[in-house]
Amino acid sequence: MDLSHIRNFCIIAHIDHGKSTLADRLMQATGAVSDRELTAQHLDSMDLERERGITIKAQAVRLGYTGADKSEYQLNLIDTPGHVDFTYEVSRSLAASDGALLVVDATQGIQAQTLANVYLAMEYDLPIIPVVNKIDLPAAEPERVASEMASVFGFSDDEFVFVSAKTGEGVVEILEAIVDRVSPPKGDPDAPLRALIFDSKYDSYKGVIAYVRAVDGRLDRTGPIRLMATGATAEALEIGYFGPAMTSEESLETGEVGYVATGLKDVAACRVGDTVTIGGPSNADPLPGYEPMKPMVYTGLYPADGESFPELRDALDKLRLNDPALSFEPESSAALGFGFRCGFLGLLHMDVTQERLEREYDLTLIATAPSVGYKVMLTNGGEVEVDNPSAMPPVQEIDKIHEPWVDLSIVAPSRHIGAVMELVTSRRGEYTRMEYLQSVDSNREDSSSSAAADARVLLEYKMPMAELLVDFHSQLKSRSQGYASMDYSICESRPGDMVKLDVLVNYTPVDALSMMLHRDNAQGQGRELVSKLKKLIPRQMFEVPIQSAIGSRVVARETVKAMRKNVLAKCYGGDVTRKRKLLEKQAKGKKRMKKIGSVDVPQEAFMAVLSLERD
Amino acid sequence: MDSRVRVNPAGTPESQTTEGGSNGLSLYVHIPFCETKCHYCDFNTYAGIEALIPGYLSALETEIRFWGRGLSRPKVSTVFFGGGTPSYVPIEGIEAICAAIFEAFDVDDGAEVTLESNPGDYSRHDLTRYIGAGINRLSIGVQSLDDGLLKSLSRRHDAETAIGAYQSARQAGFENINLDLMFGLSGQTIEQWRDSVACVIALRPEHLSLYALTLEPGTPLDAMVKSGEVADPDPDLAADMYLYAESALGDAGFDHYEISNWSLPDRESRHNLAYWLNAPYLGVGPGAHSYLPNRRFAALRSPRRYVDLFGGVLPEGDPVEALSSLRILESVEPVTATMELADTMMMGMRLSRGIRTDEFLARFGTDISDVFGPLIDELSGMGLLVSDEVGIRLSDSGHLLGNEVFERFVTASAEANLPGNY
Repeated sequence: MDLSHIRNFCIIAHIDHGKSTLADRLMQATGAVSDRELTAQHLDSMDLERERGITIKAQAVRLGYTGADKSEYQLNLIDTPGHVDFTYEVSRSLAASDGALLVVDATQGIQAQTLANVYLAMEYDLPIIPVVNKIDLPAAEPERVASEMASVFGFSDDEFVFVSAKTGEGVVEILEAIVDRVSPPKGDPDAPLRALIFDSKYDSYKGVIAYVRAVDGRLDRTGPIRLMATGATAEALEIGYFGPAMTSEESLETGEVGYVATGLKDVAACRVGDTVTIGGPSNADPLPGYEPMKPMVYTGLYPADGESFPELRDALDKLRLNDPALSFEPESSAALGFGFRCGFLGLLHMDVTQERLEREYDLTLIATAPSVGYKVMLTNGGEVEVDNPSAMPPVQEIDKIHEPWVDLSIVAPSRHIGAVMELVTSRRGEYTRMEYLQSVDSNREDSSSSAAADARVLLEYKMPMAELLVDFHSQLKSRSQGYASMDYSICESRPGDMVKLDVLVNYTPVDALSMMLHRDNAQGQGRELVSKLKKLIPRQMFEVPIQSAIGSRVVARETVKAMRKNVLAKCYGGDVTRKRKLLEKQAKGKKRMKKIGSVDVPQEAFMAVLSLERD
Repeated sequence: MDSRVRVNPAGTPESQTTEGGSNGLSLYVHIPFCETKCHYCDFNTYAGIEALIPGYLSALETEIRFWGRGLSRPKVSTVFFGGGTPSYVPIEGIEAICAAIFEAFDVDDGAEVTLESNPGDYSRHDLTRYIGAGINRLSIGVQSLDDGLLKSLSRRHDAETAIGAYQSARQAGFENINLDLMFGLSGQTIEQWRDSVACVIALRPEHLSLYALTLEPGTPLDAMVKSGEVADPDPDLAADMYLYAESALGDAGFDHYEISNWSLPDRESRHNLAYWLNAPYLGVGPGAHSYLPNRRFAALRSPRRYVDLFGGVLPEGDPVEALSSLRILESVEPVTATMELADTMMMGMRLSRGIRTDEFLARFGTDISDVFGPLIDELSGMGLLVSDEVGIRLSDSGHLLGNEVFERFVTASAEANLPGNY
């Protein structure tokens, strides 16, 4: 299609602000799906995405639209993953777009993540169409939210589109705004092919399917294709677009968005951000912005029964087919047996992956304490990356430890500022700045104290990423009565006074329970760990000391008293079979426990300790 | 090991060794009636079905005669009336059952015939009639000699009644009496326990069974503890009580011959010894278990169905198969060699005499050390077991941790290699 009739746009929204419902409406209004086909939220295809109200995999739908000017337009809706862990994917979706819809919930206003994504879109110089959604709700305050958006981002009043994705009100206005305000693609149809990969998925028949935007040139099936960053070459087995079903075509022309089936067996060869060009020698330069994905959070995943290791491996292999960001390698723990050290983009990525493994693959897992990657400077001048506490070099060999820090932004009503401050400070956060998202005096006739308390504030901090890992988000939610939202991005690496806290059961270190902590938190955490373990480790035939220690220094100790009595009081003729079975069961129960030295520790103890929440 | 213990090891059905003359079956007679059901009890017994008693007694008689015929009037060395509360049924009923037993079975002259009883029932009976019926040992369910605790156990008697019952049994002429006591009860103090132990020592029965309260799944007490209504019994306090009783009874001349049982010399419960020596026994009545050569089986639990089924026609032939075909017997379980080994170890280790090397060899055709050598060494090393040329037995400290030992032997038995004929 003629470039001037193509519009490539994406939708930016906070979780639950109605992005998927709006996308469904747009598909319906343009006839891409019939009313009958419209299952709520067409774009989020994973159950988990639907349940959590988030989008993990981006998608792209082509909409045919006849504008008010009677011209035919090809609108390509490029979905963006809706979570902080997937910032890089969001940036690639933005890079593939020429404009963005910014959807904000009329009952909620701007959230932390909205800000982050809008700033990202502004970096790409994309025209942004501000959309105030859910205007049908009784609690909606479209004017207030619009004025907040105007004051934060500098929109003018006539730019806003007010819609209800639920009722369909305002949807046509959005389509018109897209035609009017989103720029047509710029690209050179005569240049060598350069197509940007903004997502990929694995199909067992067609191999890896790359979601692409043809930036320059033409993508067709006349020859092999090459992926410039990974160097992989492939056949373009099938080319087409999502309508929303996969619809094959002869080619993708400059500016168009669609897919190419590559037949590749490994998604790792087809990375988000890479450039597709024609096979053989080419003088095309790769498109800018490619970054290899780097895990930020690590955890050890172990089958709880100690026996499902092969099943866990298969499940991880399968998940990775569609999730190149997931990294894993086998590791073994003296306490937990065989498992995998897994790397994730962030906490949500970790949670979702773990949940999918348990739900879709029916595995019961034990996850060790999540860890960030530390840069450890050694006294001998060397430097190592350590993402697993048990791999930490001995204390005497460590010169310095650097840990990743994040820029943390939190949006909350001003009455919760104190609680947020307190939380962040207790997690070693450093205050950067604060901004009222809306001038209280100019927007409210009464500048009463309640209005001031309702005013929403953006708080920015720098904080060690490790502090985010344990329970930060749920603490933020509970301390702000659910009103605060947060976003973070990695900003730097700083030296930190980190120590490894070990747990010893009967003087045997339990590798799976080791964790990296700031020295100031180590003692408290150590005490909590041993007191929790004391309650969970059954009495043995001998006294079992439980200690937590930093290096050789014990910081807390508890003792599980020796078992004194375990004997059947009665055993007569009627009991023989039953009691024999009881004893067999007791023996089996012990067999299921993990042996730490000579101590039998039930699975539940690990699970409970590792789900340790911080106060 | 105490040399005073001279039991008659019943041995296996195939190789019955005789040490003291009796080598017949042990017969258990179940009486599934109670005036009220105690909240800790998970036995097959019922309150409120008294109307069934006459029919039940005649069904029981039928079953006794059936087995007598089916097993060709076998030798019987011990009889035990348990329940339930055998003293709750009219004494005429017990007399009739006893008569049927003596007719249907070849009961040894010196057979031990025990009847379990509730102190509250004594005033209603002429106890001499029990003696006349052939009963020569009474077991009295005293449980506690503290009135408050008796009440909390929902027992219907008080301490005075219990002591009175004991004395009237003596007066009636019983020369072999057992008292049951419980410890580790919710709210029971060590002082209360000491008083109870001192009191029973003063009464000087021939035999004492001291049972730690066990929370049996499904009992009202178990539910009450789970809901927090009643405090969870403290196992350490129960251990203290046990050790106190062990020492006090030892001083008083009682022999601690089984984990929960003490007796004056030669007054062990011969019936129960048959269980612990894994010797054969026959149980009659609903829910009763039996162990005949190479098989264990149990009767259906419902007294009503039991009465109905024994009212019908009984087939001839192998009695186990006949009763199975009528569904009177449920769960007939073949006993494999390794199961017999597990049972022998699990039951035998309860006795202070433990497992004797010579008896083990006679029964299983191999040395105990060939079967369990490394395990015996390990458990001895842990201080739970004593091993010498006579045999193996729990150490003093092993008494309270018996399950840890039994469990290992049960597990090891399943993997044991026994010689050819097994």
